[in-house]
Amino acid sequence: MGTETRIEVLKEDGLSVFEIRGDVTSSSESAFSDAYRSLKVEGAGKIILRFQEDSYINSGGIAVLIQLLAETNRNKQKIGITGLSAHFQKIFKMVGITRFAAIYPTVEEAKKNLTG
Amino acid sequence: MDQHRELIRTNGEKSVEVHLPNMLGYERVAMECCASFARIAGFTSDRIEDLKTAVSEACLNAIEHGNKLRPEARVTVTLEIEDDCISVRVKDEGDGIKELPEEPDIVQKIERLQSPRRLGIFLIRNLVDHVEFNEPTNDGHVLKMVLRQPKPSLGVLGG
Repeated sequence: MGTETRIEVLKEDGLSVFEIRGDVTSSSESAFSDAYRSLKVEGAGKIILRFQEDSYINSGGIAVLIQLLAETNRNKQKIGITGLSAHFQKIFKMVGITRFAAIYPTVEEAKKNLTG
Repeated sequence: MDQHRELIRTNGEKSVEVHLPNMLGYERVAMECCASFARIAGFTSDRIEDLKTAVSEACLNAIEHGNKLRPEARVTVTLEIEDDCISVRVKDEGDGIKELPEEPDIVQKIERLQSPRRLGIFLIRNLVDHVEFNEPTNDGHVLKMVLRQPKPSLGVLGG
């Protein structure tokens, strides 16, 4: 039951956008690790995680994101988040994710801030 | 009808009971049921989102930790509206929560000094107005939470 996570990786000029579709749960681990592993040196320095506003995200999915952030933090990569509903923006702040990945209203804003 | 084969049952005018198979993913049924109930009761969309996440996390906890993913077990979610509150009881067939998880520390999680998981109880505590753990029943334990909607916006179930 539920919708499998699908992540499309779009690469452009030193930046990658993860287009995240489907549920974000503990079952999303392989989708996130596959997407992360697909990054080459170019395009890996800055990553934007683009969610869909109606995504179902639970604590298992947040744990998967924290694992990804642990990896990107270790590799000194900059992360931006966009597309979240107001509720999940609140949840991400509550958990502390925003200390390691800023939330932006649009992909364009995220790109501007990460590359600026 | 055998109550264990029912999925959703109404108990009077202001109470609904949902029986879930003990499988990850079925927490979505309880979430949506709670959301519909809260919407009819006049709760605002932001409070409904809080309720959905809290109910989802309580059900996940019941399925994974309370019922230990046993397929023959059930999770029972009972919703009640009274005045400006919705109370939700999530019952599993387990032994209760032995030890509540420590407060999450994001820096420790990022540095891999604390498990990235175990966020469910933290989220529940921060999203609802009141929560009680480990209320024993004949055949399991109940997590009870109460969510309040600031007046004035109660709908047809609130009168």
